Amino acid sequence: MRTRRKKWLYALLFYVCCTFIAVLWMIPFLVAMFTAFKTIDEVFMLRNFWAPPRTWTLENFKIAWKEGKMSRYFVNTLWVTSISVSGTLFLSSLAAFALSWYDFKMKKPILMIFVAGMLIPFQMLLIPVYKFSVVTGLYDTLTGVILFHIAFQLGFCTFFLRNFMITIPSSLFDAARIDGAGAFTIYVKIIMPLMKPAVAALAILEFTWIWNDYLWSLILLQSDIKKTVTIGLTTFQGQWISSWNIIAAGSLLVASVPVVVFLLFQSYFIKGLTFGGIKG
Amino acid sequence: MRKITPYLFLIVPLAMYIVWVLLPIFQTVIVSFTRWDGMTKMRFVGFQNYVQLFRDRYFVLSFTNNLKWMVGFVLLSIPLGLLFALLMDQRFPGHRVYKTLVYLPMALSFVVIGQIWSWILEPTGGIVNTFLRWMGLSNLARSWLSDPKVVTYSLIWAALWRQIPYAMVLFLAGLQNVNRERVEAAMVDGANAFQRFWYIILPELRPAMVVAVTVNIIDSLRAFDIVYVMTRGGPYYSSSVMANYMYIQAFHNYRMGYGAAIAVIQFLITLVFILTYVLNVMRREEREI
Amino acid sequence: MRGFRFFLLLILVVASFAFGKERVIINSYMSDPAPRKALEELVKMFEQKYPEYEVVINTFAHEDFKVLLRTWLASPKGTADVVTWFAGERMRYFAEMGLIVPVEEVFAGSKWEDYFPASFKSTCSYKGKIYFIPQSWYWWGVYYRKSVFEKLGLKPPKTWDEFLQVCETLKKNGIVPIAIGTKFPWTAAGWFDILNLRINGLDFHIALTAGEVPYTDPRVAKVFDYWRVLVERGYFLPNHSSYEWQEAATFLFRGQAGMYYIGQFIKDVAPAEVKDDLDFFRFPIIDPSMPLYEETPIDGFMVPANAPNKKGAIVFLKFIASKEAQEKFARDLGRLAANVHVAPPDEHARKGLNMVLESAGVTQFYDRDSNPEMAEVGMNGFVEFMHNPAKIGDILKRLEAERKRIYGK
Repeated sequence: MRTRRKKWLYALLFYVCCTFIAVLWMIPFLVAMFTAFKTIDEVFMLRNFWAPPRTWTLENFKIAWKEGKMSRYFVNTLWVTSISVSGTLFLSSLAAFALSWYDFKMKKPILMIFVAGMLIPFQMLLIPVYKFSVVTGLYDTLTGVILFHIAFQLGFCTFFLRNFMITIPSSLFDAARIDGAGAFTIYVKIIMPLMKPAVAALAILEFTWIWNDYLWSLILLQSDIKKTVTIGLTTFQGQWISSWNIIAAGSLLVASVPVVVFLLFQSYFIKGLTFGGIKG
Repeated sequence: MRKITPYLFLIVPLAMYIVWVLLPIFQTVIVSFTRWDGMTKMRFVGFQNYVQLFRDRYFVLSFTNNLKWMVGFVLLSIPLGLLFALLMDQRFPGHRVYKTLVYLPMALSFVVIGQIWSWILEPTGGIVNTFLRWMGLSNLARSWLSDPKVVTYSLIWAALWRQIPYAMVLFLAGLQNVNRERVEAAMVDGANAFQRFWYIILPELRPAMVVAVTVNIIDSLRAFDIVYVMTRGGPYYSSSVMANYMYIQAFHNYRMGYGAAIAVIQFLITLVFILTYVLNVMRREEREI
Repeated sequence: MRGFRFFLLLILVVASFAFGKERVIINSYMSDPAPRKALEELVKMFEQKYPEYEVVINTFAHEDFKVLLRTWLASPKGTADVVTWFAGERMRYFAEMGLIVPVEEVFAGSKWEDYFPASFKSTCSYKGKIYFIPQSWYWWGVYYRKSVFEKLGLKPPKTWDEFLQVCETLKKNGIVPIAIGTKFPWTAAGWFDILNLRINGLDFHIALTAGEVPYTDPRVAKVFDYWRVLVERGYFLPNHSSYEWQEAATFLFRGQAGMYYIGQFIKDVAPAEVKDDLDFFRFPIIDPSMPLYEETPIDGFMVPANAPNKKGAIVFLKFIASKEAQEKFARDLGRLAANVHVAPPDEHARKGLNMVLESAGVTQFYDRDSNPEMAEVGMNGFVEFMHNPAKIGDILKRLEAERKRIYGK
């Protein structure tokens, strides 16, 4: 009897603690939510950021969508993000396959290259990559942005997938080889199906990071119609005025997509990180 | 045929990586030995930028701030992330919801996070000060983002709002690997919660711990977005970090060479930690095989 | 593969549309809603007048634009024909490097003075050639709430001593005398500029911003002596480094602060119920023997050297310089048009114009007149002074070391 009561008490304690933590963590979200529903005068004049709006207004969302040309930018960003994620996952899985199943002279140096390149301060790359894009005519094209994202994410993705691949028992690999299967067949038919959870987890991470990317879209794109959502948000930061309420509304709209993607894939994600490595 | 197969797999990814990542890194290293405004001709100046860097008080200040970030990240995000993970690892109904809620900060872009925290830390109307005053602790209220003595700590806390969930997820993953039977056996043997944690769970968490520590060290050295969005390194450089200082030198002051030198130094420092981590992981792999 | 083909098709479609017309691409930093709309309408007017042209406007957030402009100008292949920018040293910086081209053809068959005030010419030129077409300009003044002043029986001060008295009265009545938001330090630079102009005059200020005068010069120290009085008596808004300029302005709007030395654009942000209650007065006189100078930043357009369509750019700029274009822009935004034939759009603007006309000379702004690097260090130095007035000696020494390094003299 006592252990049952004790268990009930523990459960209650856990609920209280977890709720407290969750609520504390959600307060900043609440601030953003409230601001998104306020009118600009209320934001300026009352300056109570944590108080719910006196008058709830959906205007900000409408303005953020229309004036921020969000429909166009959502399309652009979806295009860029989905192709980049697919491209980098595919290419990095190829590289990871080579780096986990084969022993060759350049193996360690190449792995080092991928690892070292993935944690550089990326501001270092801004000017050289910009110049390269202009010279090759990739400047101001979504293709240019896509190619860059694919290349840049290869480091981490290769490392992540390789770490997972080496846990697959080599007996599978050897058995298929004895059966006469070529390398690519092994890759497609045996290794990749086993990698589904890891790939799904990586897909979510990559989607979130590329979707929220700001710096590269800023540097590599110029025309208004080509911009991505994060850039579109900044059009509300004027030279003189910043419409915080519209920016808050727009930010919530922008953040909704990675959140949805996360909710859809979250069970894969938490499992997947066991096998992976790190990401900043 | 076998000998070139791996190279065939690697050729496209490696080529792209070299073109878009490695070559630009080398170009930046070269630029760090020049004096260049990004527009006119480059002038080779040898190690001048580096020499100037070590005498630059704002760079030293930035580096010191990065160290504060490192201490903050490691001392706070690791224990708190671990604590949250331990709490949420129990399979009580609704645990998925809680995990998702606490994870959400990671889905937001830094720009948004920085903006939200600017509002929270606002001296007159922000939540923190309003709460402190409501509790009667108004002498603790500060101008969190404009008092040079506290601004870096305020920024670190805003960054932690996202970093702690990240550590939590890492530890949650690590906890999946903990051998439940051993824990239960210990319970039967009469070990209390703390003993179970210290002697059984913690040692098995070592791989996750190593990852978490290294991740936090590297992220603290790379910190940029939060600083840039919330204070731009101000007031007068007091909250500056290396990446922010580099950006301002290169893109606001048109000193590409100097900025490149800062980036190279930052890269070298981070590289030391990366190599430590990778060597550690490779040692682990060899043990497993 | 499919994506690439679709893309190619898209390019062909767009190209075929653009084939008939000549294109002019404008990169603009006018990201605020009102100026942005005004520019879009101006472009429509232009396209109606010159149907053989098609104009594309790309808008960027203001801070981002400043960073991106350099990359565009330095790029081997140009992507913009016309860019918005500021007159003064910021423009000359690029002219000196040959990254922008002179636009003298705009005045073919006429001359500068037919369009713009003679006093603007030097700030829009480099080595005798005109590189910059001004569009609008505004003044800086001390803005205040008429009702607040009336309630306390205050009148706009004319001299420094009167100003100090006004501050003291405001403070005694629980109102912050001077609002300021220094999160982005240029607002502090405004104070430095106007104090320097009042105390040391135009020539000294120009020499200083051109890097010809050491910061350790006693005349510079004198500026800070006056400024220090205000800081030490606590007349400035507390925690001003937490606020951007417009957040600080809300204190003025809510009647919690009395005055704000700022540009005319504050009216853009003022809520409707406060707009008409806002007025300004000229910054008080410190030295009665010193002529009056004011800050009048000028905004406008210039043409990159790598512009793909220079001819089109010139045609567009000619339109921008015309009376009708200038009038529309000024009227829509309540600004002052650079074109001399355009009357000020309202009373408020007329007052500003008169203030400037009665002055002996004008300057741009500290960060528009100085070398960008010096401006960055300088402005941060001013904010540091406002936090720690006692450290001014050290601050000036540091600024001087930077000046020597940057200007090499």
